[in-house]
Amino acid sequence: MRRQDYQPLLSADPNVVWPGLPAPTAALRMALVRQLDASQWWPAAELRTAQLRQAAVLLRHAYRQVPFYRTRLAQAGFVPDKGLTPAVWSRIPPLTRAELQAAGAALYSPALPKDHGRTYELSSSGSTGQVVTVRGTRLAQMFWDALTLREHLWHRRDFTGSMAAIRPFPAGAADYPAGARYPSWGRSMDGLFATGHSAMLSVISSPAEQADWLQRVRPDYLLTYPSALNDLLLYCRDRGIAVPGLREVRTLSELLPPETRALCREVWGLKIVDLYSTQENGYLAFQCPQQEGHYHIQAETALVEVLDDDGRACGPGGVGRVAVTSLHNFAMPLIRYLVGDLAEVGPPCPCGRGLPVLSRILGRVRNTLSYPDGRRGWPLMGDIYHAGVGGIRQYQIIQHTLQDVEIRLATEHSLGAAEEAKLRAWLHDRAGYPFTVSFSYPAEIPRGPGGKFETFRSEVVV
Amino acid sequence: MKPPPPFYQPLKSGHVSIVWPALPTPDAARMAAVLMQFEQSQWWTPDELLALQLHQANALLHHAYRQVPFHRERLAQAGFVPGKALTPAVWSRIPLLTRAELQEAGTALNCPEVPKDHGSIYEISSSGSTGRPVKARGTQLMQSMWDAISLREHGWHRRDFSLKLAAIRAVADGVADYPEGGQGAGWGRATEGVFKTGSSAVLTVASRTDEQAEWLQRVQPHYLLIYPSALRDLLLYCRDKDIVLPTLREVRTLSELLPPETRELCREVWGVRIADMYSTQENGYLALQCPAHEHYHVQAESVLLEVLNDAGEPCAPGEVGQVVVTSLLNFAMPMIRYAVGDLAEVGAPCPCGRGLPVLTRILGRVRDMLAYPDGRKGWALFGDMYYQQIPAIRQFQVVQHAVDDIEIKIVADRRLTGIEEAKLAQWLHQRSGHAFPVRVTYHQEIPRSAAGKYQDFRSAMPGV
Repeated sequence: MRRQDYQPLLSADPNVVWPGLPAPTAALRMALVRQLDASQWWPAAELRTAQLRQAAVLLRHAYRQVPFYRTRLAQAGFVPDKGLTPAVWSRIPPLTRAELQAAGAALYSPALPKDHGRTYELSSSGSTGQVVTVRGTRLAQMFWDALTLREHLWHRRDFTGSMAAIRPFPAGAADYPAGARYPSWGRSMDGLFATGHSAMLSVISSPAEQADWLQRVRPDYLLTYPSALNDLLLYCRDRGIAVPGLREVRTLSELLPPETRALCREVWGLKIVDLYSTQENGYLAFQCPQQEGHYHIQAETALVEVLDDDGRACGPGGVGRVAVTSLHNFAMPLIRYLVGDLAEVGPPCPCGRGLPVLSRILGRVRNTLSYPDGRRGWPLMGDIYHAGVGGIRQYQIIQHTLQDVEIRLATEHSLGAAEEAKLRAWLHDRAGYPFTVSFSYPAEIPRGPGGKFETFRSEVVV
Repeated sequence: MKPPPPFYQPLKSGHVSIVWPALPTPDAARMAAVLMQFEQSQWWTPDELLALQLHQANALLHHAYRQVPFHRERLAQAGFVPGKALTPAVWSRIPLLTRAELQEAGTALNCPEVPKDHGSIYEISSSGSTGRPVKARGTQLMQSMWDAISLREHGWHRRDFSLKLAAIRAVADGVADYPEGGQGAGWGRATEGVFKTGSSAVLTVASRTDEQAEWLQRVQPHYLLIYPSALRDLLLYCRDKDIVLPTLREVRTLSELLPPETRELCREVWGVRIADMYSTQENGYLALQCPAHEHYHVQAESVLLEVLNDAGEPCAPGEVGQVVVTSLLNFAMPMIRYAVGDLAEVGAPCPCGRGLPVLTRILGRVRDMLAYPDGRKGWALFGDMYYQQIPAIRQFQVVQHAVDDIEIKIVADRRLTGIEEAKLAQWLHQRSGHAFPVRVTYHQEIPRSAAGKYQDFRSAMPGV
């Protein structure tokens, strides 16, 4: 059977043009990708066994280097020189964000195995304003680069095309109108494949500016945030703006509402390929190349669990909290870290890949609606644009108490009482409960820290 | 849809803290990167492959042009201009390099400068049947490419690396003598550092057939690598003595011509298939047996192999011509369009779907052609049919001393009867299509050539 997933590799040796002999780091990345090609088809049980083998090395390191973990691991029954069983693993207490914040640098490993490369620090600020600082290594980044490459290969992208990214950049780095330009698709491709160029624009720009820039840049692929994409699609729909040449839209970093997928098909006739990642742990899951609604956990680098309220693994159809262990981060081991997201476990994928499936990513725990009876829900609010009220540019829904919900709207004109009543009825219908609804009309609704935008946020302490 | 699982063995990790996915050492990572390209390129069309071969050949020619006056002259005459793309037309005008020219030129073909990334340089000396050695040079880079092809070959035939490999081949005296043989912790250089393997055992091919059989019964290998002639002797011996090797899964052969009859004999006696490899010392692997058929795929990523007719034009499928090889990565001693001295038959595109060119038969050395009284020369395709008719024969070799003098050397349990000798002559007449005068001689053994090779036909005619 003929399979043509790859082009010949670039050669670091000018005298050997074919087969390409890549430079050492590039060859290493490729050696990883080649393993990923094989392991994606392994049965889930085989993947889990391999994960636990790597996790055992990580735990041994954490046990010896980080007192915080030594206690927790010992209590769970972990013995450094013994193999790691699923039973011991399941007894390790999950690490909450609050514990991570409290422990801070106490989670850093004073010593690193050699060859893990430079360490770097990364701060992510949640909506509450509490900063979490995590430390990573060059080696862990290399695994992420290999995953980036896998994702391109899964979706059979044409490397000769151009890639545009609308996402956060430091002020001045990729501002409208020029944006920025880079000769390749970036680090994951360097030294292995010749690619087209990439173009960058800050996500702080307005939809009008983004639309103008895209029409000038004319990329083959666009990477952006779901909320920015939604705004952009609405803008383009109203003005009949197409982006000729665009083949696919990729989204990351925020929750992608199904409505945005539909809108993208409607306005540009394109499918969206979504990626699930967190700053602390890199890629967690990629959209299946065959099943749009399925996300495949990137089991080779992240041991991702979905845990119910009792801390047990959810079965297919179950929704629970996402706990992540980055298997190759030895600088600051994060073991069973509750990243703060909720997800639904999916059935085995018909595509045949053994990589576990998430059928829905429901976003942050703080993005769940709380009901007075203690229930929690994940309202799909995105279709506010179809609620029969025109002129809405941006919206955000905030739950202040168990009874009170605010709808913030950036509109072209103030809404009358009749229109507010329509939206109130829409919210009651979507939520299935008669919350008290108030309205506010800011000129613009700013993005949160890190450039992320939340269409729904709860300030109720659960 | 799920593609067929790639041939995969866990790569070895070069880092103690990373067990999965393995983070290999730089050399192993490069090997993996090359293998990955092989997995793709084998499916390319012949045109796509040729375009990349010429791309790489251009780099080689450019180097040879600047470094080696011998080549500069020949290349310039063919219309090669450094810095311009290499066209098939220019390529076809480059004169063939004969073995005699290679011997004559000697060190004049060596490049004074070799790109430093190509690693250390080694010399090999291959002595042909004429006793006049050919000296060639190669680089570490070429060897690592051959290692990659060696791994491809394991992959094609889906070998289980955890099992045991035995080799009966030419090794230095004292290294792997009977009865102990030699032991290896792994399968050898190609797999070392890349994949974890089972152990290996080696025995010198200079050992006797009964010793080999005894050794194999002790070693109990899953795979056996051996020369075709030694294999044939071994199979005949084992057939007579009812010796089976219960663990054996496959026999691999290399280095000599493999007669189709030996494949049948191997299936009959041990119930296993043979996977044959076509290689030369100077140019490494030239062609490997298709995983699904008994013909050969040219290793187009390492060698540009042409099969040319007497007019120097490429042979069409079904035609036999001389094998002309350019090792695309030999920057130490470029051998451009080197006529290696073998004949091969070109095959039609393979139904397996691989675009790597097909050789249906490898017919052995050109210099061992049978000379007919009318001046014609023909390939002496004697095969192995004789052993089925006269089981007493252990070994044989046909030697042509003159157009009217052919000697059949025999190693046998007893002298043949007059009827049996006549049968032999009849067999030779039938195979050659001419009633050559034949004499049968008896020997204790028929020695191998200096390189440990064994030929079932040898021309001892003056001037051939």
